Amino acid sequence: MNRMNGLGVGMIGGMILSVGIIAPGASVAQESVAVRAALVQGPLPAEDPTAAAWNTASPAEFPMSPQVHWPTRIGEVTVKSVKVRGMHDGTSVAILLEYADPTEDPHDAAALEFMVGDKKAHFAHGQPMAQVEGGPVNIWHWKKANGKILDMNAQGFGTLKAQARQDVKGKGVYQNGTWKVVFSRSLSTGDVEHDVQIKPGEFINIAFAIWDGKKLESGELKESGSQKAVSSWWYFRAEPPPDYSGYLYAVLAIGLAVGFQFVVIRKLKKGRSA
Amino acid sequence: MKAGLLGKVGIALKKGGVLLDKGGVLAKGVVLVVGMYLFLKFILPLVTAPLPANLIFLYLALAVAGIIIFGTLSSESTEEFFGPIVRFLSGERQTGPMKIARLLVLVLFPLLVGWQTYTNTVPSDAPPAENRTIHPAPPGEFVGLSNPIPNTPENVMMGKGLFAAFCSPCHGGNFDGKGIASKGFDPPPANFVDPGTIAQLQESYLFWRIKKGGVGLPVEGMPWKSAMPRWELELPDEWVWKIIMGEYDGAHQKPRTWE
Repeated sequence: MNRMNGLGVGMIGGMILSVGIIAPGASVAQESVAVRAALVQGPLPAEDPTAAAWNTASPAEFPMSPQVHWPTRIGEVTVKSVKVRGMHDGTSVAILLEYADPTEDPHDAAALEFMVGDKKAHFAHGQPMAQVEGGPVNIWHWKKANGKILDMNAQGFGTLKAQARQDVKGKGVYQNGTWKVVFSRSLSTGDVEHDVQIKPGEFINIAFAIWDGKKLESGELKESGSQKAVSSWWYFRAEPPPDYSGYLYAVLAIGLAVGFQFVVIRKLKKGRSA
Repeated sequence: MKAGLLGKVGIALKKGGVLLDKGGVLAKGVVLVVGMYLFLKFILPLVTAPLPANLIFLYLALAVAGIIIFGTLSSESTEEFFGPIVRFLSGERQTGPMKIARLLVLVLFPLLVGWQTYTNTVPSDAPPAENRTIHPAPPGEFVGLSNPIPNTPENVMMGKGLFAAFCSPCHGGNFDGKGIASKGFDPPPANFVDPGTIAQLQESYLFWRIKKGGVGLPVEGMPWKSAMPRWELELPDEWVWKIIMGEYDGAHQKPRTWE
């Protein structure tokens, strides 16, 4: 009987302990609202979209729409969704786009977009807003044609311009009907006026654009310029280094509670024996 | 059968009453608090709206304070009230289940304190909460305008045609917000069939939203996220009014009026 009771206590205690241990680790499920770039040790696969290291990064997936917000619009686009992975090493960040495109074409392209500074910017090239003072956007534009990534800014339609200082590197690789394009840059640059600054732990806005540069029979490109697949703003976060202070405070609190119990019970026992 | 069951319940209640009498102020207090909790949490919501958790906590805290005051009115009642607690915690002459219960309390209490501390100090890793106002107030010049286009079958038909050409890629051929271009945008295009959208609004409001688009929203509407075009740059007012007519007719809704 006593053994059974002991077992019961052990089981209940174990259950409670395991709840306490599992629950804090189980973070929010991978909702496709945010790209989370994990903090990693060692070199980033900054110019290798097919590196095995990317398999360890969990992807977020975002749907893409034909660009219908301003002329010239497009009714239907090739790329319906994009998978996004990220990682950083505390100094640099690498972001990998992966999407299905049935043909590899010289004019295929993809871009990331960020807000610059504290002012909100409209996802369509930071165009002016009637009642809110907006800021510029920073666009990282990869083109298959030259294999390069252009670091650009815009604040309104027709203002898109390459920066004097180019900070973004990367590479695109086409395999089995899929484009994998990696973009990389240092988390922060000195140029706060033009470049997005990425601080680990902070959520920032990110948007995507993809062009299928296939040549149609008419000789025109299927998608180019404002005729592209787009998303509106989602979130990106470079994950902060692990913070164990919560555990430390919990252990301290448990110690205090045990001490409190000890003092109270000793006092009670003394009071009764007196 | 029914009488038997009732009888049994009666006996059980009587037994409980006897136990309560024996248990004294403390046991009565515990029963009262538990009973109150069950009543506030489960029985009261049957007749009215559920109470918020912090209000229930406040009621129970008041009850506990009252019980402690009542239990400690005299020195005898104080002894009667605290006696069982003191005996339980000091663990004298305890055997079997009581001993285990005491051990459990002594182990669980510090763990609970630790857990509370942990959950209150750990930083959140969720994206920022967004309190976007879906239908913010329009600028003054767009309040109270009435549709100047006569509501004839021809005009409604034309409005639906314009809707199909300019609006349906996002808002959908069925006016349900599920157009071919709707998926990549957050917030999603409005669903006009939903009684919470255009049925709650005046035609004047729609005229503002169509003409000025997403970028015309005030800050609480988060204009930087909206994909709604600023149609005043591309469509004449007359078309916008006709589109509004076609939208209400197609979604089987009526504009809100103040009559």
